[in-house]
Amino acid sequence: MAAARVTRARMFLRLITKALTVRKSRVAIALFSIMIGAAIISALLCVYFDISIKMSRELRTYGANFFVGPSADSEERTIDFSAFEAAVKTVPPEALIGASPYLYGIVRLDLGNAVMAGVDFSGIRRLSPYWQVDGRWIVADFDDRNCMLGKSLAKNMELKVGDKINLVNRDRNFETKLTVKGIIETGQAEDQQILVNRALAQQILGQDGKINHAMMSILTEGLDIDALASSIERRLPFIDAKPIRKVSHSEGKILGKITGLMALVAIVILSLTTLCVMTTLMAMIVERTPEIGLVKALGADNGNVVLQFLSEIGVITVSGVVLGIVVGYGLAQVLGQAVFSSSISFRLIVVPMTLAISLAAALVAGAIPVRMAVKINPSSVLRGEE
Amino acid sequence: MNTNGSVLRTRNLTRRFGEVAALENFTVDVPRGEWISIMGPSGSGKTTLLNLLACLDPPTEGEYTLDGVDTATVTERERSIIRREKIGLIFQQFHLVPYLTALENVMLAQYYHSMIDENDCKEALERVGLGHRLNHLPSQLSGGEQQRVCIARALINEPAIILADEPTGNLDEENERVVLRLFEKLHSEGRTIVLVTHNPALGEAAERMVLLQHGRIADIVSKAAVA
Repeated sequence: MAAARVTRARMFLRLITKALTVRKSRVAIALFSIMIGAAIISALLCVYFDISIKMSRELRTYGANFFVGPSADSEERTIDFSAFEAAVKTVPPEALIGASPYLYGIVRLDLGNAVMAGVDFSGIRRLSPYWQVDGRWIVADFDDRNCMLGKSLAKNMELKVGDKINLVNRDRNFETKLTVKGIIETGQAEDQQILVNRALAQQILGQDGKINHAMMSILTEGLDIDALASSIERRLPFIDAKPIRKVSHSEGKILGKITGLMALVAIVILSLTTLCVMTTLMAMIVERTPEIGLVKALGADNGNVVLQFLSEIGVITVSGVVLGIVVGYGLAQVLGQAVFSSSISFRLIVVPMTLAISLAAALVAGAIPVRMAVKINPSSVLRGEE
Repeated sequence: MNTNGSVLRTRNLTRRFGEVAALENFTVDVPRGEWISIMGPSGSGKTTLLNLLACLDPPTEGEYTLDGVDTATVTERERSIIRREKIGLIFQQFHLVPYLTALENVMLAQYYHSMIDENDCKEALERVGLGHRLNHLPSQLSGGEQQRVCIARALINEPAIILADEPTGNLDEENERVVLRLFEKLHSEGRTIVLVTHNPALGEAAERMVLLQHGRIADIVSKAAVA
């Protein structure tokens, strides 16, 4: 019995193989259609699984999305720098893009008063990589000889990179000479400010160990930002920690729109693939009507006919999906380089998902042709009427 | 199995297409091992009758028992089972699968029937004189050879009855003789044969001739009675 079953299985395989190889052009069209569909789907899936992280990182280059400052019910307008450090430690290191404290004060420059911001330059550079800098960034957080000027302020004070300026505090009990290392264009309030190191600002303003607030840039992908804020506030009761809703919301909306666009592209491609496969299979069924009529006359029931055609569709689909995943991975790399300037990682989950979606599309495409095959009347075919 | 000795038994078998009766009140008993031929002019209902006897179409009215099974009331799936279990079909147009070899075409009938025995299939082809053409495609065979593959395929499952529709209709005289000899051999082996034909030589070789006209039995001629 076992040997006979093997022979039956071999005969079945032989029937499938011969039926497919004898119609190379039609099978090639169906295979190519499925391959294109699977390639697009797998590429979009690869991008989809990477896009949230990649987009989030990309969007994080457009500024801070998390605020830490004194709590609203506190009369203090400053918080301890140590509280900022504690808040930073609460954020998972892999999610933290950058963070910088801010300490503001009015100082007198050679030609008039200006707002001075004390920041951590290494942090603010990661927070605002889009700032345009004429000259150079200050790289060392302990640099107390250089400053950076906002573009408008530099213009008003007729200062340029390399100029030296005298900076005096309001109480006139602290004076220092600083070199303009860079002039920044931000499109924001910083264009009117002079930026110095936080430690120097604390010294100038006499606010040792204090800051007004801090800004952070945090990857929101896979992170509950509200829970993070609550966690910081629980640990530091006098601190107000909150996500900047406008930025987070925009990120969510952009991601949602891109995902929606990708889903739309996938649906359109899948529909076209399904239609193409369906017409090819229908043509194959019409071509094979005499053969189907014959096997029915020989005793094949509808189950045999359905099994034969579904198996053929299955072989074409699986082959198309294998090729499609390879092509799709290449396509994902092209998309990744074009949009994110980085490669897209391959995830194993893409394989079963692409296979399942492609098989579902192939089943939809095969439904009408298989129904046509089942409805073939052997007596009409043998009489030559179909 | 039948109880009255008839492999094939019909009672008032009728097939209508709308208002038109293509076959009406066809009643016949075919004992096991008998060879009958159905003859008649075009449009007399021969093909309609063959489709009913082959369980390819259901009758509109009447009874049809094949090898003890009442086929008139069965479902489409059960008709498929009867076809594969009890009937060997031989066609005028041969109807071989073009991309399968002669051997595979015979194996195809076994595949839908039960187990496949390649040696049995080879023997069947050898019996019809095609032992040397096992791996040839239908397109590489002559008409006579294709018809012999068709006969081997019809015999492979040891059917209760062989139904042949104009088996020599597409053959030249030489191949006609070959096929006729094959049918005589099958008959001598005790096979039950129902043969639809225009060909008097083939028709008269049968033990009985059922003559159809306008969908009705016009006459039944028994060779024994003539002798």
